[in-house]
Amino acid sequence: MTVDPILASVMQRAFKSITDEMSVSMMRTTRSPILCEAKDFVTGLYDEKGNMLEQTENLPILSFSLGPVCKHLLEYFGDEIHPGDVIFHNDVFSFGNQNNDVAAFKPIFLAERLIGWAATKGHMADIGGAVKGGYNPAATEVFQEALRIPAVKVYERGRLRKDVWDLIFANIRLDIVKEDMRAEIGACTIGERRLQALVEKIGLERFEAHKQHLCAATERMMRQEIRSIPNGRYHGEGKVFFDGKHPGSEFTIRVAVAVEDEDITFDYTGTDQQTDGFVNGTYTSSASATILTFLQMVNPDIPHNQGMLRPLRIVIPEGTILNASYPKATTFGNHLCPPNADAIIRALAGAIPDRVGAGWNHLLCALTTGHNPRKAEDYVDICFMGLKGGSGAVRGVDGYDHIGMIDASGGLLDQDYEMFEQQTPHQLLRHEYLTDSAGAGEWRGGLGVETEILLGGERTQLVTFGDGDVKPAFGLFGGRDGTLNFIELRKPDGTVYRTTSKDIVGGVPAGTRYVQEAGGGGGYGDPKRRPAEKVAREVRDGILSRAAAEKLYGVALWPGTFEVDELGTAELRRGS
Amino acid sequence: MRLRVGIDVGGTFTDFLVVDERGEARVFKTLSTPDDPSRGLLHGLGEIAESYGLTVQELAGAVEVMVHGTTVTTNAVLTRRGAKTGLLTTRGVRDALEMRRGIREEQYNNRYANVEPLVPRYLRLATGGRLDHDGKELEPLSEAGVLEAAESLGNEGVEAVAICFMNAFANPAHERRAEALLKEKLGGAYLSVSSTLLPAIRFYDRVSTTVLNAYVGPALRRYIDALVEKLSGIRFAGVLRIMQSNGGVVAPEIVRERAAMTLLSGPAAGPRAGTFYAGIHGLSDCITVDMGGTSFDAALLRGGQPLFVTEGEVDRLRLALPMLDITTIGAGGGSIGWIDKGGLLRMGPQSAGAQPGPACYGRGGQEPTCTDADVLLGYLPPDEFAGGRIRLDPSAARRAIERVAGPLRMTVEEAAVGMARVIDANMANGVRAVSVRRGFDPREFPLVVAGGAGPQHCCAICSELEIPLFLVPRQSSIFCAAGMLMSDLIHDDVRSMPARLDRLRDGRLEAVLREMSESARATLRAERVADEDVVLQPSLDMRYVKQYHEVNVPFSPGSSEVAERFHREHDRLYGYDLADQKTPIEVINVRLRSIGRVNKPSFPELALAGSDPASARKGERRAWVPERRAFEEVPTYDADRLSHGMRLSGPALVDQANTTLFLSAGYGLVCDRYGNFVGFRRDRAESLPASVAELCR
Repeated sequence: MTVDPILASVMQRAFKSITDEMSVSMMRTTRSPILCEAKDFVTGLYDEKGNMLEQTENLPILSFSLGPVCKHLLEYFGDEIHPGDVIFHNDVFSFGNQNNDVAAFKPIFLAERLIGWAATKGHMADIGGAVKGGYNPAATEVFQEALRIPAVKVYERGRLRKDVWDLIFANIRLDIVKEDMRAEIGACTIGERRLQALVEKIGLERFEAHKQHLCAATERMMRQEIRSIPNGRYHGEGKVFFDGKHPGSEFTIRVAVAVEDEDITFDYTGTDQQTDGFVNGTYTSSASATILTFLQMVNPDIPHNQGMLRPLRIVIPEGTILNASYPKATTFGNHLCPPNADAIIRALAGAIPDRVGAGWNHLLCALTTGHNPRKAEDYVDICFMGLKGGSGAVRGVDGYDHIGMIDASGGLLDQDYEMFEQQTPHQLLRHEYLTDSAGAGEWRGGLGVETEILLGGERTQLVTFGDGDVKPAFGLFGGRDGTLNFIELRKPDGTVYRTTSKDIVGGVPAGTRYVQEAGGGGGYGDPKRRPAEKVAREVRDGILSRAAAEKLYGVALWPGTFEVDELGTAELRRGS
Repeated sequence: MRLRVGIDVGGTFTDFLVVDERGEARVFKTLSTPDDPSRGLLHGLGEIAESYGLTVQELAGAVEVMVHGTTVTTNAVLTRRGAKTGLLTTRGVRDALEMRRGIREEQYNNRYANVEPLVPRYLRLATGGRLDHDGKELEPLSEAGVLEAAESLGNEGVEAVAICFMNAFANPAHERRAEALLKEKLGGAYLSVSSTLLPAIRFYDRVSTTVLNAYVGPALRRYIDALVEKLSGIRFAGVLRIMQSNGGVVAPEIVRERAAMTLLSGPAAGPRAGTFYAGIHGLSDCITVDMGGTSFDAALLRGGQPLFVTEGEVDRLRLALPMLDITTIGAGGGSIGWIDKGGLLRMGPQSAGAQPGPACYGRGGQEPTCTDADVLLGYLPPDEFAGGRIRLDPSAARRAIERVAGPLRMTVEEAAVGMARVIDANMANGVRAVSVRRGFDPREFPLVVAGGAGPQHCCAICSELEIPLFLVPRQSSIFCAAGMLMSDLIHDDVRSMPARLDRLRDGRLEAVLREMSESARATLRAERVADEDVVLQPSLDMRYVKQYHEVNVPFSPGSSEVAERFHREHDRLYGYDLADQKTPIEVINVRLRSIGRVNKPSFPELALAGSDPASARKGERRAWVPERRAFEEVPTYDADRLSHGMRLSGPALVDQANTTLFLSAGYGLVCDRYGNFVGFRRDRAESLPASVAELCR
């Protein structure tokens, strides 16, 4: 068949518009603010063999496990896949990335023939286990963390399997999870309807041929990108602090990135062993971290289909902190992305200094649960607006302010302030850029934020997870580090409690002030080379102090104004 | 004589369409005067009067309706030349505007920078005072804080202030009081108040929309005031209406305070015109493209309706007001050619605009523009452009293009060909943005081509995208002006009324709707619309309990079908419904769209004149034919003498008063019964839609 290149690009955009539409469907129908406000979910289309066709990756760290799970379902169910089936899955020991990230898959048929899959996966507000919300720093095995859902059909040939459905939701605390899983199924149905219509119009044979053409073209694009990296074997390390059990504990992620012409291998051999707590990754969460970090070093216009992944090889030995063995606890695994990204960035900084940025602020966040008397209901809320710090600068461009951890890369959104006050018993007192948080540099890091919330309601419990409270985001090539993260509870009786990075704090009284700082990203290049006018403007805007302008940037301003004192600046910058 | 006038003020040209009571249309075009657009507009009215043999006062007396689209606000945002604006907000949330909820649209692109906020941080000031989620006062407004802010903003010399407080959608009291205090202290500053402009929940949407309104408000207010004054100076006593982004028109005194409603005013009339011209040939799907002097607008229509969004973005800035879904890129006749750091030829988005304009206008422009290339390529007639009123100077065009030809080591002609190819590729990408990117195949959508520069480039765009069919309206250069005369008055009103649907069966809904309808009718009456021309379209924003987002469902008072409709709509949009689970439904907003129907002009039909165009033949002009990679002597035709049924075969040039259509090799053209041009690829003539196939055979 002769290939029509326009049809191939129309198909690529059509896949993208389908997964985007599925994403809109999820956002507009779900109940948990984690999904409908923050967009902690992904949607995707896969072919009949489980190969990725396109995804909408609101949260990239969830994204690259859907394809492997899809292949697993095909193998597991074999001939028993029928039109109208719906399959749920979250099991981290069969390619799931995190217990709370529960996927719905729907096989798509055209005239009795399997032509592909639609899938949606989102972070559920609760997934059973010992602690409401799922994050349990005390856990040592998956059984203390969550309900495991290996490949399970909840609909068969369009009929609800009520017994299976009830078994699942008998083990989950919040009713909204049931509704949010219905929303996932709905989004898959949208994907199913659209893909069927597309293939019907194009014809199956042409669809197949052009799909192959598209993936091959994408693979060529990726191979070209890899070819532009000098051949070599590059080493980098990232640090993990505190396993939730042993204060002061430290672990190291080690990666060797081998570039050979058009192929690239990320080899994590030598990474520290798994912990006996929940600070462990699964293969797919760690591989997702690798992929999403590398994607930021190549042409961002490469389509996201299987062709993009083919030139990438990722080796993660089982039993390490990035690939825990059964039945270890792993809920923290997604949040090993920041140190994993640090390791890759450090490895490649020398080889491609123009494409690698400085370090990103790591995640530190709190999940709050409790009872809201005003609405007579229990709630789960993740304080997304508070957790989003700055990204690292790259050559030529400042870091992105308040973007949040690299796992999401700006796909995870703040709750709208007013929706937050509607849905929780809390009041937002402050959410502003944090002065002097950006790592100084010729190109500065992204700004962090400070957040203050007046906690209300009853039975309030906080679970924290993340880090970035020991080491800040690192600067590159003379750029300075960003600032540290912390979360503090200022109680009505005047006592102040600073949480650890993996903590459970129960019985928080109403009237407590929740105070959080998310740090800035690392700077790139010598700060004394930054144009003085830019520095002066940031002082006027109050995101940089006069003292920091002088000390870090060597920029003097005339007292009482925001005018650069040229002579004073030259003096400060001399000799540096 | 009774006249209706559509006026589209663009970045480069101001276009006029004048239609009399018999449907006879005349087209006029003057250069825009960006420093005070009303000047160019009045100048144009002078020319129109002359053409009808009237004084300008007599003309003004004959004009019943004047509909006006303006790019004053759009340009203020795109060029960041809006008012120096301050923001007064609640303590602790002043950065929400710039943070944009922490989104980075291109997640994997570390070079993607955030948008510069319209209000820099040092002009974003906060005051004490706090309302809770229900609008109940937790802390009284700090009037001292407001006054202090007023003083700072006054010292900084701001021309506009946006006021947006937390939870003000539920209680406007604090904002109203702050407004009063600021009015007192800041006198003439334009005040934009969130609870007046958009009383809907979601702080970020509201603060962004309110700031946009403030930022463009002074420019629009100045403009409308100057216009109204000038019009009353020539004793205009008809109705003046302004085009809004939602595709409807509105009275100037209403839009003056809601300037953000005009952010897409200029292009918003295009899709309406597209519906009309495509409809003549029984086509309900099409893509409209409008290439003017500065920008290129594209919109896709399905089933005769433009795509519509209730919220969107202008230059990545959130605007939570209803608007048509139109993609705009910086490509027009005035687009400037330049060489980038890698040594590649680029076109735009900078435009020479009306002043100084393209080099060939001889008004001091030195930079090479698309129009200069079009002159050298032979597409534009140097002596007959704009009815002979603007003489194009090919030697000036040549000198300008030398600036890019030199570094490219090309001849001037080669460089001109390159410039055309680059801008054609840019425009093809704009068409892809509204079609391919939304999953539509552009080859299934005829292109309706408009704008002064559109007809020179439409064959190239069609070739690039393999689109087999295009329509060029006879009034293509004033396409939007025509759309304006076909647009109804539209007002969108919303009231928040959160309650469960089953508890609203007590007549409350009907009561609110009655009140909204009264007020809509009163507004339309004030806009001189008779009651029988009013159409009211009530609807409800509904959701299942605990959802965060709503589905809009048409609602007829007293009807019990609305729940059923909601379930169906939820399934259509999102793949499922919860009718079987008996999940309760909540109503969040009551909406009313009120439409004031206006009389649309009807155009006279032409008699069939046979297929031979010989009577319209003018001569020949040397022009570049891309398919043959050569300059050739190309036959030229006079558009005014091309009549119903006449057929041409490319390459050919059709000179109109204000533009030239270049029909490339491989294309055919036929004149339809209204004198519009239907272009098609000759090798695809059999596969055209049935409704036009016969015409093109």
